[in-house]
Amino acid sequence: MLNRPLLIAGCIIPALLMNMQAFADGAVVDKIYNPYVETLEREIEYRFIVQNDDSDSLDGVQLHRLGLGLSWTDRWFSEVYLIGERTNSDSLSVEAYELETKWQITEQGEFWADWGLLFELEAERDKSIWEYGTTLLTSKEWGRWVTTANLGLIYEWGSDIANEWETTLSVQGRYRLSEAFEPALEFYTGQDTKALGPVFTGLIRTGGRTKLRWEVGLIFGLDTASPDQTFRGLLEFEF
Amino acid sequence: MHKRKILLLWILFALPATAKPPVFEIEIRNHLFEPSELIVPANTKIKLIVYNRDKTPEEFESYELNREKVIMGTRKAVVFIGPLKPGNYPFFGEFNPKTAQGTIVAR
Repeated sequence: MLNRPLLIAGCIIPALLMNMQAFADGAVVDKIYNPYVETLEREIEYRFIVQNDDSDSLDGVQLHRLGLGLSWTDRWFSEVYLIGERTNSDSLSVEAYELETKWQITEQGEFWADWGLLFELEAERDKSIWEYGTTLLTSKEWGRWVTTANLGLIYEWGSDIANEWETTLSVQGRYRLSEAFEPALEFYTGQDTKALGPVFTGLIRTGGRTKLRWEVGLIFGLDTASPDQTFRGLLEFEF
Repeated sequence: MHKRKILLLWILFALPATAKPPVFEIEIRNHLFEPSELIVPANTKIKLIVYNRDKTPEEFESYELNREKVIMGTRKAVVFIGPLKPGNYPFFGEFNPKTAQGTIVAR
């Protein structure tokens, strides 16, 4: 059990580092995944980003995701998404579909850090663009602080895109202040994006086993290529 | 040189022994945790085995412990906890939160 996550990390991290020159297309700022799966978990999820920038190509871009997910064992969780996009010139429309599956590799707290993998397959609706990604998920507790990192390796292909490898890295440091309210700081790097900003997250119990998780954050670009600000939000209803 | 060899041998044999955390067990029976209070060593990671003797699923959940684990009916689950600072850490069963409650006491 100890060797399996180390072996996976040992195989994936060097491959990601070798491809670090190529970075992901599209929005890099997004949800940061923890590596855990909960048995009998079902959820409806909505999340979005809104960009603000001096450049017309980045300003006003919105991405919306609506997902339905469930765990099918104590280690595997899958979710399907509709992805909508809106720009200053185009109104909101469904642009893509996505299937993602999360694999919790290690038991929480058993080793120095917890490990998981996320597999994502995305298809554009009206264009021949496909995207497959594998992301290494890791989380580590430091008392009331929790650090979570996602290291992604993505391949894009299709007749409407130049085939390419891409990488992303996102890191979150979260302070477990209370169940209802936790402050966090998030860092993202990917194609044309280096960004950092505060995020707030929490959980509201809505009766029985139902819960509502929320996240809001304002992520600031750290260089001229990055969007000046990206506002992101998430609502996740677990039932 | 001789001392270094002894130290290496000690590390070699001591590591597997220290790598295994002490094991504690609790049961879920009639939607209650038994025992409802579990005393564990402070500053030590522990392995908690939760046996669900009921036919229905139950969850071991605790914000204070940062753990959430569903145990299916008549099954068991393993929860690694800590190292904990001395103190009381409440937990509950999300399927029966009014009855299934307990506390881990780290001393």
